Order: sequence, then structure tokens, then C-alpha cells
Amino acid sequence: MSLAESLAVVLGGVVLLNAGVAALVLRRERPGDLRTRLREAAPYLAFLGGVLAVNKVAREYGPELSWVVGWNITHRIYSIEGTLVAHVQSVATPWLTTYFSAVYLFGYTILLTFPFLAYLLHPQLRHLKRAAVAFGLNYGLGVVCYTLFVSYGPRNRIPDAVEPLLYAAYPRAQIVTSQVNANTNVFPSLHASLSVTVALLAWRTRERYPRWTAIAVPLAASVVVSTMYLGIHWATDVVAGIALGVGSVLVAEWLVE
Amino acid sequence: MDSTHPQSKSGSESTVSRRRVLGALGGGTLAASAGCVRQVGALMNREAPEQLSFTIKTAPADADPRAIRIARFLAKRLQAVGIEASITPMSNEVLLRDVLLNHAFDIFIAPMRGRPDPDFLRPLLHSRFGAEPGTQNPYGYANLDVDALLERQRAQTGKRRRKTLARLQRSVVRDQPFSVVAFPDEIRVTRADGYAGWEQRPIHTPLGYLGLDRDAAGTADRLSGDTSEDERALRMTLTDSRPTESLNPLAPEFRASGTITDLLYDPLGRWVDGQVRPWLASSWTWSRPPDAPGPVATVELREDLTWHDGTDLTASDVAFTYRLLADTSLGRLESPVPAPRFRGLGSLVTDAEAVDERTVRLSLVPSSRPVATRSLTAPVLPEHVWEAKAQQATVAGLDPNGAVTQALVWSNPDPVGSGPLRLERRRPRELLVFARNEDHFLTRDGLADHLAPFAGGFTPDQLAFTVVPSGGAAVELVRAGDADATASGVMPADVPEVGRSDELNLHVTRPRTCYQVGYNVRRGALSSPRFRRAVGRLLDKQFLAREVFERYGQPAASPLARHRSVAPSLVWNGEDPELPFPGEAGQLDVERAREAFRDAGYRYSSDGDLLGT
Repeated sequence: MSLAESLAVVLGGVVLLNAGVAALVLRRERPGDLRTRLREAAPYLAFLGGVLAVNKVAREYGPELSWVVGWNITHRIYSIEGTLVAHVQSVATPWLTTYFSAVYLFGYTILLTFPFLAYLLHPQLRHLKRAAVAFGLNYGLGVVCYTLFVSYGPRNRIPDAVEPLLYAAYPRAQIVTSQVNANTNVFPSLHASLSVTVALLAWRTRERYPRWTAIAVPLAASVVVSTMYLGIHWATDVVAGIALGVGSVLVAEWLVE
Repeated sequence: MDSTHPQSKSGSESTVSRRRVLGALGGGTLAASAGCVRQVGALMNREAPEQLSFTIKTAPADADPRAIRIARFLAKRLQAVGIEASITPMSNEVLLRDVLLNHAFDIFIAPMRGRPDPDFLRPLLHSRFGAEPGTQNPYGYANLDVDALLERQRAQTGKRRRKTLARLQRSVVRDQPFSVVAFPDEIRVTRADGYAGWEQRPIHTPLGYLGLDRDAAGTADRLSGDTSEDERALRMTLTDSRPTESLNPLAPEFRASGTITDLLYDPLGRWVDGQVRPWLASSWTWSRPPDAPGPVATVELREDLTWHDGTDLTASDVAFTYRLLADTSLGRLESPVPAPRFRGLGSLVTDAEAVDERTVRLSLVPSSRPVATRSLTAPVLPEHVWEAKAQQATVAGLDPNGAVTQALVWSNPDPVGSGPLRLERRRPRELLVFARNEDHFLTRDGLADHLAPFAGGFTPDQLAFTVVPSGGAAVELVRAGDADATASGVMPADVPEVGRSDELNLHVTRPRTCYQVGYNVRRGALSSPRFRRAVGRLLDKQFLAREVFERYGQPAASPLARHRSVAPSLVWNGEDPELPFPGEAGQLDVERAREAFRDAGYRYSSDGDLLGT
């Protein structure tokens, strides 16, 4: 299976999962004139698109720039929390590893993609606008942090205490994730921040999509835990990620109102 | 953010002691006489000693799973004896830039590449090189006796040289400018149904690639996504992405082994079966003219040599190369800027001169034949490309820091070499594809016997390196048939996986590379050999070889442990012959270890912190 095939598997999985969740969640939706709706939301979606474009370029050159201008905060984080993540891993079982790996890879992608499908169909367009702005803020501030701070995650800093559970069990997953991220970009955890963002947005739309809220909130919580369980992020990254996620939603709501 | 200076603790202790003194003054018990005031002044104006504090720089687990574990082991033991220790993981490239070029480190942990001839120790340890940036003497170590021994062994042979080398090793191991930890075994994985001949020479070496059996390619003509239909590619995985970012053979921070640039650039002579044999040269003769201080080599080049761009390769290119290695500014800057990666070889040659199109004369410093012959193994570079790189390196018209030339920092994205492979495609951090050089001299008839196993040159059409994030991912790709073999080593943890698979073969070699803990002898307490010895004792090498190297590695005291010239008294005998670990099975006997630091002249605060001066 080549890299392209691995990516195809991931993408196929995401499409299938979206279809599955959509079948569960979206029952009453009657899409109005999609074109008009998209036109109205266009500035917000363009903002997100712009941030993602900048993000893509920054991910390419950021890591090198980061070594020139950034602070290496790996030791700072380690001295704050020590081997805390090793304690999270102490509950590890093969089943949990499978669960958290699936959540980290597939659950997260559902959290990232499904809201846009759902909010495009939501009668009130402001949810789509909020999501676009909140995502844009997450990625934008994330990439600024990644350039300013050089930090390696626990599996890289304390490998004698923390195991790379995801990559040990699924070496191929690392080939895919290394395509989209550098191992020095751990502070803050964007997995945590975006999951929290989606959970908060889901809570706001719980009346329309109660099942999505019921899926998104525990899934987001699982993703947050998985980043530590799998040895990828420090608890410090997760706390910073949660703060970033909450902040992004608050700012997005303020901006969209 | 991480302090690169050994003192990073705040001055909290000095405030406490000052307050105590002031309190005593206020109590009026001491303030009686002028003599006493002087005494108080003498006391207050003294710098209060602070806890010793070091930063250990090393690569993260993704890049080097062993180094960071050694760092963790050492940091914990340093803390146990009252020294503040922090670990700063950094990418290999940045690490080597800090250590080799900027000398910005306290302690670093990295592999040290050994060479077949022990003369590789000379650039590493000679004090003359301590002030230069580069792979040579990054420690700043200076010992005039060692300098003399290094120079003496260079001109000696046989038993006398072995004796000198033994004395040299004893002095260096006694002084501990670096601590040898262990020599790892290199573990590589190949596909059982792919190319054959892997076991003849170590994998991921120039001769390893060139000596692969061309007929036994098995299913090697399987298609890969990156090559066209009729081409056979040898597909390797690489965990180190640096060669995809720079193909400059002179840039030390980008070169772990140099194998890839060695395939692009031919030397005059190459190590074949333990000896330097003619390569680009058809032959050489040594002479000793009466007026010359050392040997003179008259090197004859093969006929019809060309660069990858079609230009003729002549004696003038060879002479240029040695001039460039000695001074990459070619006299344009005030003082010479030698090529750090080839300082050992370059420093042997005092003069290089093209006699005619195919003859070059190299004059050397006094040196024995084996050492002198080493100088012929440097890569030959094309004058018409590198001449322009001799100018000072600048960033957007700025002069960043003086004595750096383009030749040292240029990434060489489109290399023009003469080697058996030429670059076809490059995607930074992802992929390198080389194509077989049809015009290489190895493809011709009438080669000397020592080249017979490599006749025909590189036999597949392409050599592709795919960057993978870890050894585990590499094994996975090889097993799935997406790669033929791993160019970078894999970890012992991957071995059981390989053992269970019929499709995979395991290859274990013992190269002369060891893991070292290097000390910056220019800094604070690390300048004291007694102190470094006390630090060196904190490494339980037997335990580390077992736990970190998972038995794929041997603990060692000498950097020549895998050479025939290892000093008999420094051969591993179950424990470190020079600095035995005070404790057992990784458990430090803290009191004994602290005693070693007291013996070195250092003292402890009442809190158990080891104090600097």
C-alpha cells in the first residue's frame, strides 16, 4: 500500500463516516437554495480558506523558520509537568489503544468535516459563519505559536517513560501524519483546540442537532485524551489547546453577531 | 529560551546570604570595629557560588531513539549528584550547527563516526583545531602531549604506531573530552524477494550499492509509483531527511554518513576491503623529493572522465578541489576558511598542482603511507561550478558573521558530480531519485581487479530514497513491497517483527560508530578533566548497552574499541576499565558518586546542590 493508497483509505473512511453521521443526525433538513446560502457565507469561508492557505505554506517553511526565530520550550514544558503523560499511559490496554488511535485519526477528521455539512443545512446561517471563523482562528493562532515555539512531544522527549502508542501499533499512521505536520509543532495541541471548538459549537446547536451534540461532545473529549494517551502531546499543550478552542469560539461569536 | 550558559539558576541563594549578613549587622553583635566592617565587605562583595547547571543537547526520539535515552539517563544521575541538568532536543541539523559550528553547548550526545584509519582522531582532538568551527575538535580540548602523539602516529607505522595510539587513547580516555558510551550494531532490513548481494558489503555504503548482484534482481522490476514502466529502481527508505535538503558534500550539519554525496562525487581513491585503492585515479606513485617536508603523490587520472553535465574532468579540477578544501574562500577572505568536513584529509595536503591534463601532484605534511593515502579519499569537485561558491556567504546583502563562504552553506540543489549516480529528482523532506550514470568509468572494460566486483557501476536504472518518519514505518514499507530495503538503521524493537516475516531479511553490521557524550571544555566546571571524569562515571555503559541498545551494541571506553589498534588496557572487561560506574544495574550509589565530585575539588551546599565557583 503506497502513501497515495494510505491517503485514499483515510479519505474514503472520512467520506463514509460523514455519510453515516449524516444519516444519524440530519433527518429533517430540506436544503434551501444552497447557492444563495454559500454566497452569503462566502466572506467567512474565504477567511478560513485564506488561513488554511497561509497555514499550508507555513507548515512547509515554518519548522525551519521556527529554528531561527522560535524558542525551544520543550524543557520548559517538561519541567512544568514531568512524566504526567506517562501516568495517563499507565492505563493502556490494546483495546484502549485501538479506540484512541481510531479517535485520533478518524474521529478527529469527522469532528473537522461534519460541522460544515451540518451547518450548511442549518436554517440559521450564523452557525456556519461561526464555525468558519472559529476554525480560521484556531489554525491562524496555531501556526503563529508553531513558529514562535519549538517543542517536541513526550514520545520524543521522554521515550523511556512514554511510548509512541499510535505509531508503534500503526507505523503507517506516522507516514500519513508526518505529511501534514512536523514533530516540533506540539504547542498548543490543535487536536484539542479544534475538538473543543466543535464541541462548543455542537452545544450551541443542540436543539436542532441533538444527536450531533451527543456524538461530538464525547468524541471531542476522547480526542483530547487521545493526544496524551498516545504520547503525542503534553498536558500543557492540551490545556493551551482548550484555551485556544474556547477563545476562538468566543471571538467567532462576537465577530459574527 | 534555554540558557546555553552553565549558570542559569537565579541568584536566590546570594540574596539569602546577604540578608543574613545584614540581619547580623542590625543585631549589633558584629558592628563594633573597622576590621569587622572590612570583613563584612569582603564577604558581601564575594560572588555567592551557585548550583552547577548544564544543558544537554541531543536529537529527539524520532531522529535518534538512543541518544535521547542516554541523555535522560545522564540527566537523572546528574540531578542525583546535585547538578541541575536539562535536556534540549533539537533537529539533527540544528544540533550539529550548534555543536560543530557555533560551539554553543554544554554537553551533547550524538553518534561519533569512526573511520577505518585511526588518524580520524587527529582532527577530532588536536588543539590546533579547537578554535575552528567544524567536525574537528568541537570540544575545545587542548593537551599538548596529545597533540604530539597525534602528530607522531601520523608518521608512524606498524608496532610503533600501535604503541603511540595506545598511549594516545590512554591520555584521551583519562582526560575525557568526551565519554564513549557504546558502539551500536546497525540493523537493516531488506526484502527477501528483491535485489540480492546485500550481505557482501554493508548496506547504505557506496560499495554496497555498487556491488549489488545485477542478475539476481528477482522481482525488483516491480513498479513503484515514482518510476516509469521500463525502469528498474532500487527503492530505499531513509529516516534522515537532511540529504533531501542539501546535497553539499562540505556541509557538516547535513551529512550523517556522506554515503549519498559519495555516490555523486568520486574521490581519487576509495576504501576497498580495508585499503585505499585507485578510483578516479588510474594509479598514483609516492616520492620524497629532498626539499619536500613530506611525501609527494603523483596521481594519474583515468582517461575520458566527464562531469554529469558533460564537461571534462581534468587534473585542474582535482588541484582546485584540494585548494578549496584548504580554503573555501580561495584566498578571497583575510584568513582561510577550511572545509570542516574534510579537515583531517585537507590538513594533510599542503600543495596541489596540475602537471598536465591528467596528472596532479599533491605535496603532503610528514606522514606515513597509510595516513597520506587517506588524503586521496576526498570527493573531487568541479571547478567550473564551485569556483563561484568561494565568495563570502551573505543573506540578502547582509554579512551575517564574517568567515563563512557560499561553498559551506549552499544547498547544491542541482549537483554536478562525476559519480556512478546523478541526481534526477528531489523533493525536500520527501524524496531523492538518482539515475545511473551511463558514462561512469565503472561501465567500461579493462578495470583493475579491485574494481571487478563493481564493474558496470550501479546496475538498476534508478536509486530512490523515500523519507520515512521512523524505523518502524520503514519496516512496514519494506514488508508491504513499497521499498526494497532500509537505508537508515532500524531499532532492536523492530527485530521480532522482521523475524516473524518470511518476506524480510535482517542484516546486522558493526560499524566503527560510537555514541559519545561530548563536553564543551571551554565552559565552567567542564573545563576540569577531574570534573569530566566524575561526570563520565555516571554513565553505566553496561546497563545502557543492555537497556537502550537492547543488546545490539557493545559498551566501550575507547573511541578505537572497534579498531585493531585499541589499547589493550582499555578493552571492555565487564566494567569500564577507566571509569567504573559507582553502583549496579543503572542504580547509582549517590554517596560514592558525590565523593568523586568532592575529590575533583567541588563542594556541596547544605541542600545537597553541587556548587560552581
